[in-house]
Amino acid sequence: MRNAPFVTNYLSEHLADDAYAKLAGYQRAGGYAAARRAVCELSPDEVIEQIEGSGLKGRGGAGFSAGRKWAFMPRDESPALLVCNADESEPGSFKDRLLLERAPHMILEGILIAAWATRAQKTFVYVRGEYATAAVAVERAVAEASKDGLLGDDIMGSGFHHEVVVVRGAGAYICGEETGLLESLEGKKGQPRKKPPYPSEYGAFGLPTTVNNVETFAHVPHIIANGVPWFRSFGTEDSPGTTLFGVSGQVLRPGLFELPLGTRLDEIVFEYAGGVPDGRKVKGVIPGGVSMPILPAGQLDVRMADEFLRERHTRLGTGGVIVMDDTTCMVRVASVISYFFRDESCGQCTQCREGTGWINKLVDRIERGAGEERDLEILLDIAGKLEGQTICAFSDAAAWPIQGLMRHFRSDFEAHLGAEKCPFPASFEL
Amino acid sequence: MWITIDDREIEVHEGRMLLQALDDAGLLGNDVDIPHFCWHPKLAIDGSCRLCQVEVEGESKLQIACDTKVVDGMVVRTDTDRVRNARAGVMELLLVNHPLDCPICDQAGECKLQDFAFDHGSPVSRSREPRRALAKNVAIGPEVVFDQERCILCRRCVRFCDEVTGTSELGIFGRGDASVVDTFPGRPLDNAYSMNVADLCPVGALTTRDFRFKLRVWDLDDVDGICTGCARGCNLHLGVAKGAVQRAVPRRNDAVNDTWICDEGRLSYHAIGAPDRLKEPQLRGTDGRLAPTDLATAVEVAAARIRRLVDAKGAGVFAGIASAHATNEDLFTFWKFLDALGAETRGVPVIRGQADGILIEAEKAANASGARELGFDVTGAIADRVRSGGVDAAIVFGHDILDAQFLGGTDALATLDTLIVLDLHQSELHHVADVVIPTLHAAEKDGTLTNSAGRVQRVRRAHEPAWPAWSEGSVISLLGAALGLAGFDGSWDVAAVSAELARSQPRFAGIDLASVGRGGRNIANAEDVTAPVDGEA
Amino acid sequence: MISDATRSAVSELMTRFPEKRGALLPALHLIQSEFGHVAPETAVEVADLFDLQPVQVLEVLRFYNLIHDTPQAQHHVAVCTNLSCSLRGARDLLRQLEAHLGIAAGTATADGRIQLDHEECLGACAYAPMMRVDEHYHEDLDAETAKGILDALE
Repeated sequence: MRNAPFVTNYLSEHLADDAYAKLAGYQRAGGYAAARRAVCELSPDEVIEQIEGSGLKGRGGAGFSAGRKWAFMPRDESPALLVCNADESEPGSFKDRLLLERAPHMILEGILIAAWATRAQKTFVYVRGEYATAAVAVERAVAEASKDGLLGDDIMGSGFHHEVVVVRGAGAYICGEETGLLESLEGKKGQPRKKPPYPSEYGAFGLPTTVNNVETFAHVPHIIANGVPWFRSFGTEDSPGTTLFGVSGQVLRPGLFELPLGTRLDEIVFEYAGGVPDGRKVKGVIPGGVSMPILPAGQLDVRMADEFLRERHTRLGTGGVIVMDDTTCMVRVASVISYFFRDESCGQCTQCREGTGWINKLVDRIERGAGEERDLEILLDIAGKLEGQTICAFSDAAAWPIQGLMRHFRSDFEAHLGAEKCPFPASFEL
Repeated sequence: MWITIDDREIEVHEGRMLLQALDDAGLLGNDVDIPHFCWHPKLAIDGSCRLCQVEVEGESKLQIACDTKVVDGMVVRTDTDRVRNARAGVMELLLVNHPLDCPICDQAGECKLQDFAFDHGSPVSRSREPRRALAKNVAIGPEVVFDQERCILCRRCVRFCDEVTGTSELGIFGRGDASVVDTFPGRPLDNAYSMNVADLCPVGALTTRDFRFKLRVWDLDDVDGICTGCARGCNLHLGVAKGAVQRAVPRRNDAVNDTWICDEGRLSYHAIGAPDRLKEPQLRGTDGRLAPTDLATAVEVAAARIRRLVDAKGAGVFAGIASAHATNEDLFTFWKFLDALGAETRGVPVIRGQADGILIEAEKAANASGARELGFDVTGAIADRVRSGGVDAAIVFGHDILDAQFLGGTDALATLDTLIVLDLHQSELHHVADVVIPTLHAAEKDGTLTNSAGRVQRVRRAHEPAWPAWSEGSVISLLGAALGLAGFDGSWDVAAVSAELARSQPRFAGIDLASVGRGGRNIANAEDVTAPVDGEA
Repeated sequence: MISDATRSAVSELMTRFPEKRGALLPALHLIQSEFGHVAPETAVEVADLFDLQPVQVLEVLRFYNLIHDTPQAQHHVAVCTNLSCSLRGARDLLRQLEAHLGIAAGTATADGRIQLDHEECLGACAYAPMMRVDEHYHEDLDAETAKGILDALE
């Protein structure tokens, strides 16, 4: 199969198998046994206990404990919803798409277990609008599962009722933010909500709602099937389990690698992905999608888990590793990233709406050689004003990469000041 | 519960957000300065402008005061370096794309962006990048003009049309710094309250066609007014210059109109200087035509005609048809006059239209409740009485009696022996009147009006009338003196009349010109005096 | 006019959500598949179906990249130019496609056949450069392959 992961583990071992996307193939590989166990043998609280005990952290970027999130939900039979955030749009990330396309039943099984645990009657799978193939795959899986009594009324004879509805987004990065997604699900512009109230209290359509990322759901059946100690045998104490690292950019073997959290970044870049081609050297690596600050070549000896990355002023994010070789102009990198955030800002909060545009215009002016020394201070200052002052974390995501680039590659910016043309002629084109 | 804000302890209600709590206490914008754009006391919380950030003890991040619930013992600081820097940051970012065209902007002088930039911003702009080029001078609706470049996207206008009028003409299209406020193609901002968006707009993006380029706001004197278009009695700021009202904008009164006014009411000030204003007293001569005269002569003639008829036929043939546009003081004087004359036939025709459930009420006059309180019949029965005969003389305030709901024209009045008209504008009534005396607009006189909820509110003389005109009360007083009626000596002091009214009518006890205050007082609930009128609007 | 078939499909969609407005995005996708775009007069019809004001439908239309309120070309070609793709020559690919079609990105061919755009990350980062043609991904592209794909479009 094209796009098959180079290194597999429990999430991805069957991704290359076309039959795995179908119910029969998935069940042949042991699928839905965990769901059956959860729904027929465990109480919702027992499931939450296991997930909380497993230390599973959300794989959508924020890294919040999945079990704790579930535990926020009301413990009664009042209407509650579950949402699968399949709006993967973080540049550098593509793992969720492959899971949705190649292992939709694994996601559904995780959803079913989470629904049982959070007492939700309905799940909306919000699939990124561009992911047409993925949406079709999930829809097909829902139809198969419903037909087979794995969804709908009296699931597996347990009396539990659950429905899954697939909704396609329509092209807006901000809908990956969980409350932006909820707004979009309600048929509105995907503008994030003020918090509190949190979704567990007032979510989609005003109902208590849990929102989890695709990969987060994917881990759940494996935890239920194999137990907490098994899950904790992967990864680190604070960040257990594996994750699907997506490596892209200037490496020999770009692709997916399922590795334990805590795997060293240099190992991923050089050993698994083969390092940069053509005898070039690495200049910098973004560890977790463009929202996360870059690390310079000298700082790749870091384990890929938040507790370690935080010490280097960056985060795991979505685990989307982007590698840049030594031809790279970091001002161009800033230009690409700042354009993205300018284009995708929902426009609600002043700092984000105005700041993302200002940063992008300013970076482009520096790239054109029309920058001055003071512009570098202004750039950092505006980025600082975006941080931690808005309704959602988007503006932090817009600020961090700029701060990271300025922290480690300020000399690239300085080299542009007064330069007639970009001092990095061999860099990727803009 | 209590909170501490900049070392001042204030009592707050549970469940309120900080800005609301400060607004409740009447402190916001007065003693406590927390700049804000998107928050408005009468609109849902938006939380997007991020300007109202404050430091809350125990919170690592700054909190927006509009969306932070008060907690007992909460300690808030609005004046730290961190807060100042955050504000300056927001101000700088808001100005990055703003055209800075204050010299040609109507909002200058009452622009929050200008004010806050002065108080909380930096004097120099660091941005050298090109600003957004967007639509200017857009006719977004019949009454409102829109400048997209000045807009700071606070969404107040959008929320107003969603939440208050329910008409939802406005939306924000696009994302990020490409976001713009606009209407749906072919569906302009056209509702009965559309001009409120210009008041709500903290910058000069939305302006009214009515006041556009008319005057600089700092050349206006601000006088409290009351709209007389319906029984709601919406509170107004009258902007006065060059001896005339130049504009009317709503004045906040939470017990009456919140911070709104309907477009019709806002524009009704044009009646003050309308070309059909009566400009002098008139008498019908022997040639059957009305001719100018002076007040003394008009009063003398009117008194003589009334005296002749009453002496011949008794006061039963006399009708007093007052107006619900007149003040309590005017009506009280007229009531006493009719008592002294012995005339029992009295009433006030109140034109009825459609109420809209927002502000506009069915009774199309500002003082129908006052007339009712004083004992006037406001059902329109007076018209039946006139139509059925038995009335030979009448004093009529205004021309509402001609409305289709009442006499439907002048026919019934044409048969009267004597018709004395006290009115603001020319009307068909004058074709059949014997004496016509010009009266004052509510913005030209002092007195009180009682709104539909029983709130007695003060009107003030905003400027001298441009032509000779008198309050109904003073004319009636002269007439009473000319007729030699007990209690009338020809003088009329509105404050004294108001005080007498408060003494003699139990429902008005304690409520007179001197005591109503700027927010008015309710005759049904004397405790109800606390509406904040100078808080946030 | 929205067809009866689409109307009944929209009604069915509404039943899947706790509130019918939830079906707005799915409905707009559906209606766009019928008309190619959602014109203002169609937006008015949609607003009626959903008990919304037309402006609320237009706000939604203009917030999302994949639904359009103006007529679109027959085929939509989007070349991802976000970082991972740019690092692997996406800009060069886009320029070659611009030259091949004789149009600038962001515009459509005069015959209304192809709209060419640069696009933000499409989630195929390891398989760069890539483009999305209508609903299909084409990955690991070189310019000649990409041109061939465009030439094969009807």
